Amino acid sequence: MGLNLPNGKLGVWLFLGTEIMFFTAFIGTYIVYRVNHPYDWPTDPEVTHIRIWAGGLNTFVLILSSYFVVVAHEAMHQHDFSKAMKFLQWTFALACLFLGIKAYEYYGKFSHDILPGHIAETNEQAIDKTLGELKDARSAWLTALVPDEGRDDAKMTALRDQGGDEATAFFALDARITNLSDKVKAELVTMEEVTTELEEMQANEQYGTHIASVHAPHPIPKGNLFASNYFIMTGFHAIHVIVGMIAFAFVIMQGSKLNADWSVYVENCGLYWHFVDLVWIFLFPLLYII
Amino acid sequence: MAHEEHSDHVNYFYVFLLLCVFTAASVVADVVHIDSKLVVIVIVLAIATAKAMCVMMFFMHLKFEGNWKYVLLAPTVILAIGLPLALLPDVGVHYYPADPQYPANVMVVEPHESGGDSAEEAHNGH
Repeated sequence: MGLNLPNGKLGVWLFLGTEIMFFTAFIGTYIVYRVNHPYDWPTDPEVTHIRIWAGGLNTFVLILSSYFVVVAHEAMHQHDFSKAMKFLQWTFALACLFLGIKAYEYYGKFSHDILPGHIAETNEQAIDKTLGELKDARSAWLTALVPDEGRDDAKMTALRDQGGDEATAFFALDARITNLSDKVKAELVTMEEVTTELEEMQANEQYGTHIASVHAPHPIPKGNLFASNYFIMTGFHAIHVIVGMIAFAFVIMQGSKLNADWSVYVENCGLYWHFVDLVWIFLFPLLYII
Repeated sequence: MAHEEHSDHVNYFYVFLLLCVFTAASVVADVVHIDSKLVVIVIVLAIATAKAMCVMMFFMHLKFEGNWKYVLLAPTVILAIGLPLALLPDVGVHYYPADPQYPANVMVVEPHESGGDSAEEAHNGH
């Protein structure tokens, strides 16, 4: 005697059982790290670039999409296939909106280099990072000025021969960066002094615009651990959203041919989608509030 | 199927509204200034659990399913809870400060009267 449920549904529930453990591994690890670092975990939104309105809005979007899936499933059960199709399309649209908001949040992290392994955690690391960005900006400008030469020193020789106002401005910036680099090497400069120096350089009319994107030194203790946890949890969740969208796309592509044969499929997709919602329900307070 | 007959009586829109209210309550708990961080944590996690229960019971129809749900979900839930609990003693809780400027999580070893490094002495004592 078997269970009183379709094989497909049993399969989905068994799969969801493994998914619970999959996400709990990440969420559990995050909780353990938070317990381990109760005082110095980065929580300031200005530092982490985590926006509660974005997380709250995404929570609402997923809850609404979950509701639409239930309505679609009910409509399938009542053989109202046009209504089911309409709500499945809305669900798909909301999934797109969720990923759009998520992409906006990721953009904030990428633009401020809040990425695993990229974050300076001490003053020394922060100074080195700013200096590295300055040197990269200098190289980018040099390549724009002398695109055809090979190495930087060959480009600089060519630029010196070439002369002109831009060359003068470039060498003025180069001299300041070299001077700052020497001070950093000799450990003669503090983080505050580097910040002041950078602000002065960025305000310079000759070359300031070329280094406008360089970030002032800003160490974030435990920042890399935070970023790793954030991206692995939200990243895998986003992948699950995309998988759900692909599953819904198969039904939506049926168009007017949607019929009762798809009822179990819609129910199974719905179960998966509710699970995706369920994971976000816990990620929202853990990442955006606590 | 049996669960479909029962689930016909559920007003899913009310469940959706309840989930929205819970979400708004979580945001309010963060925006309103509450002195104790622990209180905020308890409030928002309790709300998240309530939301998860609503989704599982009504949207996923677990309220109307047979007893197989316990057989299927109990092992995964036990393992899911077991993982952080297994990691906690070794990784989550340390007796000696990982960072000297912050106190240890569970036990602060007071400096001995004769002076010296408290953590080192405590370590030697084990």
